[in-house]
Amino acid sequence: MGIRSSFAVMVGKATAKLLHIMGKGATSLPGVVTLKLCPNVLATLARDIKVICVTGTNGKTTTCHAIADIISANGYTCLTNSAGANMINGVVSCFMNASSLTGKVKRDYAVLECDEASLRHITKSMGSLDVTVVVTNVFRDQLDRYGEVLTTLDLIKQGLAHIPNARLVLNADCSLTSSLVESTKHGDVLFFGVNGGFESTSSSDISDAVYCIRCKTKYKYHSHTFGHLGDFYCESCGYHRQKPSVAVDEVTSFNADSADVLMSIDDKQYEAKITLPGAYNIYNGLAAAAIGRVIGLDDKKIIASMSSLTTPFGRMEHVALGEKGVEMILVKNPAGFNEVISFLTKHCTGEDDILFGLNDNSADGTDVSWIWDVEFEKLGERLREVTTDSQTFFFTGKRGEDLQVRLKYAGFDTGKFKLEKDYRALIQRLMGTGRHTYMVLSYTVMLGLRDKLAEVAPLKKYAR
Amino acid sequence: MDCIKICHLYHDILNLYGDTGNVVTMKKRLEWRGFEVSVTDLSFGEFDRNDKFDIIFIGGGQDFEQGILTEDLFKYKAGWLTEQIENDTTVLAICGGYQMLGNYYITDKGEDIKFLGALDLYTKASSPRMIGNIVYSTELNGKMNVAAFENHSGKTYLGKGISPLGRVVKGFGNNGEDGTEGARYKNVFATYGHGPLLPKNPVLCDSILLSALKKHGVLELSELDDRIETGALKNALTLYG
Ligand SMILES: [Zn+2]
Repeated sequence: MGIRSSFAVMVGKATAKLLHIMGKGATSLPGVVTLKLCPNVLATLARDIKVICVTGTNGKTTTCHAIADIISANGYTCLTNSAGANMINGVVSCFMNASSLTGKVKRDYAVLECDEASLRHITKSMGSLDVTVVVTNVFRDQLDRYGEVLTTLDLIKQGLAHIPNARLVLNADCSLTSSLVESTKHGDVLFFGVNGGFESTSSSDISDAVYCIRCKTKYKYHSHTFGHLGDFYCESCGYHRQKPSVAVDEVTSFNADSADVLMSIDDKQYEAKITLPGAYNIYNGLAAAAIGRVIGLDDKKIIASMSSLTTPFGRMEHVALGEKGVEMILVKNPAGFNEVISFLTKHCTGEDDILFGLNDNSADGTDVSWIWDVEFEKLGERLREVTTDSQTFFFTGKRGEDLQVRLKYAGFDTGKFKLEKDYRALIQRLMGTGRHTYMVLSYTVMLGLRDKLAEVAPLKKYAR
Repeated sequence: MDCIKICHLYHDILNLYGDTGNVVTMKKRLEWRGFEVSVTDLSFGEFDRNDKFDIIFIGGGQDFEQGILTEDLFKYKAGWLTEQIENDTTVLAICGGYQMLGNYYITDKGEDIKFLGALDLYTKASSPRMIGNIVYSTELNGKMNVAAFENHSGKTYLGKGISPLGRVVKGFGNNGEDGTEGARYKNVFATYGHGPLLPKNPVLCDSILLSALKKHGVLELSELDDRIETGALKNALTLYG
């Protein structure tokens, strides 16, 4: 380790210590300080570690969590950054926090959630390291963030250009993601995907990639899962989905917190249970399984690991509030929200209340129009059939009113609407109902509400 | 009562900012008043020119997809759409759809892209993008200002025969320079307002609907309980007005 990087690490660690003493959680400030002193400090800090970067629009956090589960369950150690720390400063900070004063990080793997726009900064000094990059998918995100899906794709490409020897683990079913193979010339690529599609999803799902990325002809599909994901092909230029080597062949049943599936690894088929809720999480489980193969686990171990995956912050987190408790679910964009809607349509009964929360801070997306791309109509229809007199739909957040309008036009009974913007008052109200509540919240509503929930209920601790 | 026919033009391409919500809102507000409503999605290729629509809606899209679109516009839709506009059909056009009705678009490289030319206005690429909450005044929304969200890189300039839809109170509007927002011509209502526009601006929605209902002899719409819509508008105006 050079003098410059040693010094940078020491100063960074001192900053982290200071923040800790001051009672602030250390996320990105130590990274900022260290990077100023030594811009390519990651090359040093990660030199003895195998790095797994996870990027893409949806599922980064769950996928990282699942990968960390698999790695730990099989006797390896790993370092992870938290969801809020997925830019360069956060990544450097997470290495800083784990490193000794001399800059040694004693871990086998680093599993790094990487913001799509930050990947290029994170990989910049990783050219000489052992790196695997997982791209979960590319969807339209909060609309004001990168503008268009092709911009997002281009940002990821820039990130991959710094690490030409990296291994890629790509979602075969996403026509945007799998196009990275052609545009980046990486040789070592592993695809994961779903064969045969999902039955329950409708083809009317909004699509973020209707036209062929090569020749602009409309894609056709042999099968379809959700959004633009599926077994796509272009009749005009021949661009088509790659056959995935890690795949779900069939979902035998979707349960409230897991899915029973037939899974194949290199054409050998196994029965498996993926213990993540919701159809959309099948892909995240598969990405983790693909990493299992990358790190050299045998099929049996991979399949066994699938049944002990756990969900991270905000992904269907149970909180023991009141008699029946609440489930907190984070929503960030239309594709993710639609999957939550599918889940609720299946599992929400007349005995459950729902809280919808929407802010328009930059971490939520300042343009709230995306809620109109969410198919609330499906859920509205279902709830009209099963609803009870006491069922209530609560609304909160800076733009809770916009959600009320959206749900009114989706056919929800407005007589059951209750708007409560004060989080403490809201929590008191929910505690008094004696009913179970699903909370569907945008990012900063979840952060704010968790702080107040922590005053009255035991909460899991997450690094922010 | 008559069936009111809405056409959602290029529904599968110009659908970027939840603009479909405008169609949902028009449909619901008509249905709540007892009208029968049909919505026809019209995308690429040939179509039945004998189909008469009361309202044509055009939303905004991604640049990549808008490129594919002009080809189809001139091959199949240009003459038809211009004729509809000249025959007083009600048209609501948002953002990319709005720009498309104008004469041309000047790219950042200085090239002219020919557009429909139904409205005397043009758009010029500019940077940085104009993004944020927008509030504008228009008598079409009653006593309250319109609250919406804009996200465009083009600056639009209106020709002599075209009046703006409203005056910018907060935000950029057409070009961030002359205080105008959107465009009005015959029964065309064009704006940069996403949000989507109509759900929380119900009076504006009804004004637009009335322009189309005149042909059916309807000059007035019954009142609806708009407390939820107006609540959302007031909230947005309090935050950003
Ligand atoms: Zn093609």
